Amino acid sequence: MSGGDLLHVVTNDDISKGRRAFGRALIWGSGALMLLVGLAQWAQLEGISSFGFPNWRPTLYAYCLWATCLCWGQVLINGEQGKRTLFVLPAALFVISLTVFPLLFGMVIAFSNWNLSNPDGRQFNGLDNVRQMLADPFYWNAMGNMVWYCAAILVEYAIAFALALALNAEIRARKFFRVAFLLPLMLSPVAVSWMIGKSMLVIQPAGPIIRLMRTLGWENPSFYSSPWMAKLTIMMMDAWTYIPFMMIMILAGLQSIPKELNEAAKVDGANPWRAFWEVTFPLMLPVSITAILIRIIFKLKLADIVIAVTSGGPGGATDTVTSFIFREYRDRSNVGYGTLLAMVYLVIIIIAMTALMKLAERYARPRT
Amino acid sequence: MKEGLYQYANSKALTRRRLLQGATALGGFAAMGGLSALPARAQEDLRAQLLAIPGVGNGSPTEADWQKVGELCLGATKTNVAEGEFAGVELTFFGINNNGLHNILFRGLLKGWETYTGAKINWIDLAQADYNPRLQQSIATGTVDFDILAMGAPLEGDTAGQGLLDEMPDWVKTQIDMDDYVSYLKAPVGTWAGKTYRITIDGDCHTFAYRKDYFGDGAISGMAEAPTTWQQVQTVSQAVAGQTDPLTGSPAYGYLDPLKGWGGFGFYFLEDRASAYAKHPDDPAWLFDADTMKPRVNNPAWVQAIQDVMDTMAVLPPDQINADPGTTGFQQFLAGTGSMLCWWGDIGSNARTSDTSVVGDVIGFSINPGSDKVYNSKTSAWETPATPNFAPNMAFLGWGVYVTNRVSADEVKRKAAWSAAAHLGGKDLSLWMAAYPSGFQPYRNSHFMYDEWAAAGYDKDFVADYLGSNADSYNHPNAAIEPRIPGIFQYYSVAEDELAKGYAGTYASAQETADAIAAAWEKITDQIGRDSQIALYKASLGL
Repeated sequence: MSGGDLLHVVTNDDISKGRRAFGRALIWGSGALMLLVGLAQWAQLEGISSFGFPNWRPTLYAYCLWATCLCWGQVLINGEQGKRTLFVLPAALFVISLTVFPLLFGMVIAFSNWNLSNPDGRQFNGLDNVRQMLADPFYWNAMGNMVWYCAAILVEYAIAFALALALNAEIRARKFFRVAFLLPLMLSPVAVSWMIGKSMLVIQPAGPIIRLMRTLGWENPSFYSSPWMAKLTIMMMDAWTYIPFMMIMILAGLQSIPKELNEAAKVDGANPWRAFWEVTFPLMLPVSITAILIRIIFKLKLADIVIAVTSGGPGGATDTVTSFIFREYRDRSNVGYGTLLAMVYLVIIIIAMTALMKLAERYARPRT
Repeated sequence: MKEGLYQYANSKALTRRRLLQGATALGGFAAMGGLSALPARAQEDLRAQLLAIPGVGNGSPTEADWQKVGELCLGATKTNVAEGEFAGVELTFFGINNNGLHNILFRGLLKGWETYTGAKINWIDLAQADYNPRLQQSIATGTVDFDILAMGAPLEGDTAGQGLLDEMPDWVKTQIDMDDYVSYLKAPVGTWAGKTYRITIDGDCHTFAYRKDYFGDGAISGMAEAPTTWQQVQTVSQAVAGQTDPLTGSPAYGYLDPLKGWGGFGFYFLEDRASAYAKHPDDPAWLFDADTMKPRVNNPAWVQAIQDVMDTMAVLPPDQINADPGTTGFQQFLAGTGSMLCWWGDIGSNARTSDTSVVGDVIGFSINPGSDKVYNSKTSAWETPATPNFAPNMAFLGWGVYVTNRVSADEVKRKAAWSAAAHLGGKDLSLWMAAYPSGFQPYRNSHFMYDEWAAAGYDKDFVADYLGSNADSYNHPNAAIEPRIPGIFQYYSVAEDELAKGYAGTYASAQETADAIAAAWEKITDQIGRDSQIALYKASLGL
């Protein structure tokens, strides 16, 4: 042990050989037990032999026992150093249990033919699901729609910025407007779907917006009949719900800009437009990029409004990847294929977001 | 009984005079049996007594009422089970809890049964949307953790087809008087490979609802009577386009096709049109070829149905492409938009009770329209029968109670499970469920004695019209029965997606749309297993 480490040691470890041996035995013994139970479970599953294990609970209990013994063993073997390990080890095991293991299990499912109605259960089918995905017009149509949905974020951003500037200015009833503009964010998207998407825009002949449109001269108002109109309507409802989120982030950023900077610009003769582009906007770039990235993540999960209002129609024009996976997985019990689609989408999101963050890092760096 | 219809009856609550009239009529009716028919009179007394709990006009039944009904109906149980015979037995019941009914109602109805037999029931209550995924996951992962199951017949393929159910003992068949079922709920529905598994507690079918004010002398449709064939429906839809609705003053519309999917349930509405063309009286199959599972959805009959929809899309209300069956039934038809549609019994029960309904006084009912021509899949040719071909769509086939094979090895537990299920499906108890809010529709011939309903306080004319269309559909010799094969809603769901593309113009024609559905169905069949699907399809058709 180095001298530096000794500074932080609060007890003087004097670990006997027997204790170390017991610690190792505990870890290896419980590990062996977990392996045995897992093998027995597998043998039962494959019909090789029966150990009376109707489900995977014995293996889960064996894993919990092993995890506990592993933690305890660290203290027995390493003393004070082992106690330090305990600050991280349980969390690491927890993450592995609830994230890494399900992800690996998900990968196994993704390469399987697993329709819940198939009496033979799950069967490994290699790359069949990938081939099906590559030739699936519904999936790629939904992917194409996502590009348009994400592109709409730029418009949302511009509106959110404008609203944030307005709420940052010295206007009357500023507090009221701040709360009022936040209200849509507090609503469930499903509620928005029903309140606006259906009650106001669809119901004939009573829908108020339908009536208003008729009054304004639109003879047969229709918000979902044409593909682009339907897509725009979904975009608007989603934007109405989430613009306040971007707005509140930008508003927080605006309030953190020292007033002296804008005052200095004013003294130097900059008009408000120039001051905005030369002072406010560059300073807001890091906040803006963060807001846009988070909004993209939200947008990529868009499903609830689409499922509730259009079910992806007309003819797939409003479908999102998530709403399509929902139909494939839940309505059609196509677990294997649905999981693969989700996995591929996850990989695409990770790659795209990583690339975006790299780009953002470059462009958000303060100009010198 | 659908809750709405009961609320309507309540709003027209019995006066004391009418109550006395009803009681006198029932009393007189019972007395006519004479002393030589004491058991029959006792039965009638019990039915009259049941219909008086709590009595139409006295608000919705309470938990106490449910328990009282359950206790009154214990007679059948007592003939087969001794008091305390199931002491120590615990059963788990799997079902839904929609509108505070279904499982919640069953708790009350089974309370007296639990007290008498000594058994205890644990409950798995699920929201409607969670029901199917939970059931499918339990089956697929081998974690069926329930002994009694409330389930729709279309899912029999997923359960009975996979050997998960326990066969009904003969004593149960006698106790519940299965001969009283309406025709279409008799075998093969509820049976699998010749074995009976289901105690029916509900009936489901689509019927035709129309606006009476669109027809008659001087009516805007130009027709004296409501249409009875799809050809006439098409004519009416075109004829009323551009005219004014006589009730609301808004634009008039004809038949309302829901063009948007509804989690698979939307496909039933294309079936309404297609069954008249595709269900030949000599052939029980109409969705697939029974020997090969080759889809028939792209044969000329189905293509004609899709074409009919496409032909009238231009005269449907704006945004109809985004109208699902719920919108079509409740936000359009009941609100006065459109003049004809096919739907389940909810339209009838809501027509005079829903606050948003304006059509209560002008609504009429009949079985689904027929067709002047019918396609014979065996000869691959259209036929023109002497009278139109009618094939009412038995959409969803209603709820039933089933017992799982978890109890098969334990004779006491098995008897307890079947006894509980038989109690819920008992003849007298079912009358009460048909007459009061329960979420279930009538399904026995004995439910259609309208005098009983009138004596209980219902408007006989309306009930006879509304329920009569159901009874005529149920007992129709050429009823289009839903195939009870595994994954049936997968087929419907993917069909909805392809139809949406067809209606949106992505495909060039009705035939191309139908071909896309057929191709998708072939994929599903292959994925689930063609041989097993063929065997199960045949079994479900009783072949």
